[in-house]
Amino acid sequence: MTEALIGFFAVLALVLLRMPIAFAMGLVGMVGYMYLNSFRGAVSMVGRLIIDTAQDYGLSVVPLFILMGLFVNKGGLSRELYQVSYAFLGHLRGGLAMATICACAGFSAICGSSLATAATMSKVAMPQMRKYGYDDGLSTASIAAGGTLGILIPPSVILVIYGLLTETSIGKLFLAGVIPGLIGVLFYLGAVRFTVMRNPTSGPAGERTGWGDRLKALKGVWAVVLLFFLVIGGLYGALNVYPINLTFSPTEAAGMGATGAFLIALFRGSLTIRETFGVLKETAYTASSLFAVLIGAWVFSNFVNLAGLPEALRDLVQAYSVSPAVVMLMIILVYLALGCVFESLSMLLLTVPIFFPLVVGLGYDPVWFGIVVVVVTEISLITPPVGLNVFVLKGVIPDVTTGTIFRGVTPFWVSDLFRLALLVAVPSLSLFLPDLLF
Amino acid sequence: MTQLIRLARYASTIPLMLAVTALFLMMAMTFADVVMRSALNTPIEAATELTRIMMAIVVFSALPMVSGRAEHITVDLLDPFFPDWMARWRDAFISLACGAILWLPAERVVVLAERARDYGDLTEYLGIPQFYIGWFIAVFTYLTAAALIGRGLVLIFAPAALETKND
Repeated sequence: MTEALIGFFAVLALVLLRMPIAFAMGLVGMVGYMYLNSFRGAVSMVGRLIIDTAQDYGLSVVPLFILMGLFVNKGGLSRELYQVSYAFLGHLRGGLAMATICACAGFSAICGSSLATAATMSKVAMPQMRKYGYDDGLSTASIAAGGTLGILIPPSVILVIYGLLTETSIGKLFLAGVIPGLIGVLFYLGAVRFTVMRNPTSGPAGERTGWGDRLKALKGVWAVVLLFFLVIGGLYGALNVYPINLTFSPTEAAGMGATGAFLIALFRGSLTIRETFGVLKETAYTASSLFAVLIGAWVFSNFVNLAGLPEALRDLVQAYSVSPAVVMLMIILVYLALGCVFESLSMLLLTVPIFFPLVVGLGYDPVWFGIVVVVVTEISLITPPVGLNVFVLKGVIPDVTTGTIFRGVTPFWVSDLFRLALLVAVPSLSLFLPDLLF
Repeated sequence: MTQLIRLARYASTIPLMLAVTALFLMMAMTFADVVMRSALNTPIEAATELTRIMMAIVVFSALPMVSGRAEHITVDLLDPFFPDWMARWRDAFISLACGAILWLPAERVVVLAERARDYGDLTEYLGIPQFYIGWFIAVFTYLTAAALIGRGLVLIFAPAALETKND
């Protein structure tokens, strides 16, 4: 137990000295393993992990989902999503911000990254909200908060990484994210309502759209619907219509999604060879750094498990006869605290190897814990002082101060806390769908 | 020094092309496999093993570049507290250390690849010798270590040269 704790703080220290997370975890894991086992055993373990991870078929889902997200961004699908959301909600007070939230949710259904969702939506939603005189705080906050849905509503790169790290079914995790994602949309709409109630000038109503135009706008999102059904439908066998057998593995779903997004972007003429090359290059770089991190995290996990940390933590919990609920509450508080300062992926990678065995040992469902972790990660994306989604918006819209965005986003992360409490209190909200289908 | 960096940059276009091509093929093949399996009932039998090989190519071809350009996932929480000169030495030292760390496992990958050759391990459908892949991974792990050490040295001896590299 002591070794593992020293290891954990060593990783923390190295990471704060700006050593890449992959190397910090790999180094500490390897040295710790040497100490507990042997030099040869440790080097051998790391070498094996390097050669096996690179060729693990299950992991091929990672580059393909990233690729899909980047192609979707190029496809200009965000515009249609915003138009249709505006057609239905624009006439309400704060309606454009509500439309932004719904468009973000729609985009999340075809894109697995929160940062990409926020960056893309800001280009379409921000000019509209400015046109109608929306308060900068509310407009940017609705994009930043709406963007966080990207990692909860399937597909989700973070859920994929959690699934790979913990060997939890990616299919179950994706399904489990659906209802919490929709609850998130509702709560965010509530946050918009709260903001305009407090300050009615912050979000004036737009023009009402007639039903004819609404239906026309609805037709515009066919590409999004098609992609979503191709990927998610394929994953759960919804496309299994005799005699065609179309059930996908996660890798196949990601591959189909990437190809679909590529073809859509290509036919819309929004993709040049140069841009395609750029997308492929970016995907390769991202995938490569993610694989490095996964290898590092596994090396560290092996060490932590060898050191017996999960058992020690469990014994500790039993010795003090703390109830599992209290432990869970403490874990969530740790996450919320870490989330304020750490970037989301780093937080996930550093904590999951420690907490996951403990949580499962206490009898919690690994799928449910995955959703809880992703929701706290979402919160970490918009809480000060380090909220990546806020920084993304600041990058895209330089004339708004970070302070304005953080102020505007406060009702949103407060609503997130309520959602978190709800999801923790009622696990079946997450587990209902996966239990139904598996 | 600047010339050396320029050379490294030119040389890196080869693995980059390799990674990009492998990734595109991986996507296209997954699509083709699903379509052929469902519509024509003739799946590409070797798809799984080809995906695995292509993935190793994508990930490891890109790794030296990701490392040389310092694009790994890091935590920049304490950045405001490091003055520039200190940050430079810190980054140089970290980069050198990362390169050094990688050397031992890289040697191990070579050993594992050679073992696969001795055993005559082949892939299931296409009968591709496993040690090709092992060697590929080993070579690129070494290149990654070299890129990290190179970056560390440049940061110490010619930090100005790096600015043109990272533009």
